Amino acid sequence: MSFLAPGFLFASLAVAAAIVALHFIVTRQPRSAILPTARFVPDTRATAVARAKRPSDLLLMLLRVLAVVAAGAALAKPVLERSRAPDARVILVDLSRSARDSIAIRDSVRAIYRDGDAVVLFDSAARVIGGNVGDTLGALRPTTRRGNLSAALIAALRAGSALRDRAESFELVIVSPLAKEELDAATDSIRALWLGKAKLVRIGGSVVDTLPMTGRLEISADAGDPLQATVALARSAGAASGVVDRRDFRGVPARSVSESSSRGGETRIAWPASARPPGAVQRAVTDTVGGVMAGESVVVAAFERRWSYPADSVGGAEVIARWVDGEPAAIERPDGDACVRSVAIAVTPVGDLAIRRDFVRFVASLSGPCVATTSLMPADPSSVAKLQGIGGLTSREAFQPLSDVRSELAPWLLALALAAVIAELFVRRRRRDVLHAGNRPESHKARAA
Amino acid sequence: MPADLDDSYDQYAALLDAVRGIRWPARSTVRGGIPGAHNSRLRGISAEFTEYRPYRQGDDTRRVDWKLFARSDRAYIRLSNDRAIFPTMIVLDASASMAFPQATNAKWVLAAQLGVALGAIARHSGDPVGLAIAGEEPVLLVPRMRRSVTHELVRSVAATRPDCNAPLSPSVSIAAQYGGRLVVITDFLGDAEELLTVASRLVAAGREVHAVQVIASEEIDPPRDAAMVSDPEAPEMRRALTGDTRDSYVASYGAWRDRIAHEFTEAGVAYSTAIVGEESPDHLIRRITAPRGVAAAV
Repeated sequence: MSFLAPGFLFASLAVAAAIVALHFIVTRQPRSAILPTARFVPDTRATAVARAKRPSDLLLMLLRVLAVVAAGAALAKPVLERSRAPDARVILVDLSRSARDSIAIRDSVRAIYRDGDAVVLFDSAARVIGGNVGDTLGALRPTTRRGNLSAALIAALRAGSALRDRAESFELVIVSPLAKEELDAATDSIRALWLGKAKLVRIGGSVVDTLPMTGRLEISADAGDPLQATVALARSAGAASGVVDRRDFRGVPARSVSESSSRGGETRIAWPASARPPGAVQRAVTDTVGGVMAGESVVVAAFERRWSYPADSVGGAEVIARWVDGEPAAIERPDGDACVRSVAIAVTPVGDLAIRRDFVRFVASLSGPCVATTSLMPADPSSVAKLQGIGGLTSREAFQPLSDVRSELAPWLLALALAAVIAELFVRRRRRDVLHAGNRPESHKARAA
Repeated sequence: MPADLDDSYDQYAALLDAVRGIRWPARSTVRGGIPGAHNSRLRGISAEFTEYRPYRQGDDTRRVDWKLFARSDRAYIRLSNDRAIFPTMIVLDASASMAFPQATNAKWVLAAQLGVALGAIARHSGDPVGLAIAGEEPVLLVPRMRRSVTHELVRSVAATRPDCNAPLSPSVSIAAQYGGRLVVITDFLGDAEELLTVASRLVAAGREVHAVQVIASEEIDPPRDAAMVSDPEAPEMRRALTGDTRDSYVASYGAWRDRIAHEFTEAGVAYSTAIVGEESPDHLIRRITAPRGVAAAV
């Protein structure tokens, strides 16, 4: 048996030793006695020192020590040692929007999984599955959320810590298309925490290797629309392909706009000059906001904010631009192979906003490829190599024991401590009653009788 | 005689036998009255001749010694000492402080023995004997000379439990209305100041007042084990009697006893101490009843 938090046990032992010492040297109230001449005793404090050569009350002392030690042992989380397997796996299964082939995912995981392995499912978040893993694997379906390998690796480290007492060594297996969008700046650092090599099982053969980053950027707008100049500057700067639609579709549902206008693989930007953007609703009170950002493009200017995207509009859509206070400023909805972006940013003809460089970059970023397309871009080979790592299996010693692991003995020890406390209360009360009865004068006893 | 009285009387039988024959003369001449065993202030016509006095007009001619007149031709009156009875009242303190130690009530037992034995001695001298007990239910037996007085004393003492907190001085004042000699048996842990005032007034009025202070040896030398002690007459008073406070207690209590003895003696009270277990009761009786300036004959 080992303790996950032995400090509590040591602390409880120290307290128990103090209790034992107090039972020997505690200053306690001496026995009560009748003395008619008590008035001649100096009026000092009501308690007096009486050192005992033996424990003042052995049963009470034992109950108190038992309560303290049992509580300390429970908090120390004792766990029973188990026999360990030679090795085990921590399998990261990608269920993000990048992993579109659910059959390939299931087959890959089933081929790898053995009893005793830990399976971590992840998209934008990661979770370790428990219970009947076979049934869970059979129901695996990719989600529409962006994958996050950093979160998955953190979950893998926790799973490794949870399994450290069940196997001698561990292997990390990542079942994923390893899209570029799933890696972030922290992925390499987190991956380095897992000592040893990872086995990469790459699934989903439809990953697009390259995407055209420059192309046709068109705008359909009135002659006096200031965004014409912006689009022209963005086009000359090499923006991605897309169509900026500035027409006002008053009374026409946004869906019909996209249906009539989208073409395969094309990004259509519905950015009405004055009308309601698709999916947006008019704000109760028009306000101003100091900036907007999309990706790495930030524009600091006073924007009049007339539209907002309610929660039901954002659901199922991708927010591609936000106001500086966090509210969505532009969203993207998939439309077949293409996508339609709704932009609720008012462009004022007054001032130089339309020709400012940061605003041109902002418009160019809005004309980038659809999210569904970028999710298929593979990670760089160098990133994949770092993810794979070097070395062999990871020893169990590399994982820290989890502090929040469940101890099966802890509830019983807590119950024992509680029972000891209750017993101590009863014993103490009984002793007190006996003591009072012993000190009661005979005449009082007779009256009581 | 009821059975319970027999049991109570048996407790005093040995002591009453031991004190049989002890005389308890008055410490000074008593007022005249019914002829008794004590010297009276009056000179009378008893057979015990004392002196002659020349006849004065108004003297009873029957008291003229006619034989002396025939020899000397002078008229003399034959004088002799009168003897009178001396009513005695025993006053017992039945406060809760007398029920100590709790296991034996030794202070109360000794006080009761002294009261009964002194009453019996007074009755053997032909004096009326009465009893006053300052208890929760005060007891007052007016002085009587009949033979059953001792039994009445025993019965009254046996029926009393020392568990009250009543002052003693009112009982002494009431008892003083009946007796020329007052014997107050107490531990003085109640109203000692008032008692001293009453006793001083009685002594000034020519009464003979005896004060017997009953003390338990545990009060003089309490156990050395630390204890929270409380006064039975004031339970809220709780003091820690430890090694540090014990010496101070012993000194304070000793000084207080000395002061009580000094003040009562100065007031003309015949003061005695009766320490439980230190002397036998009959020895205490002999010491208390000894005439002034005479050591008790053991």
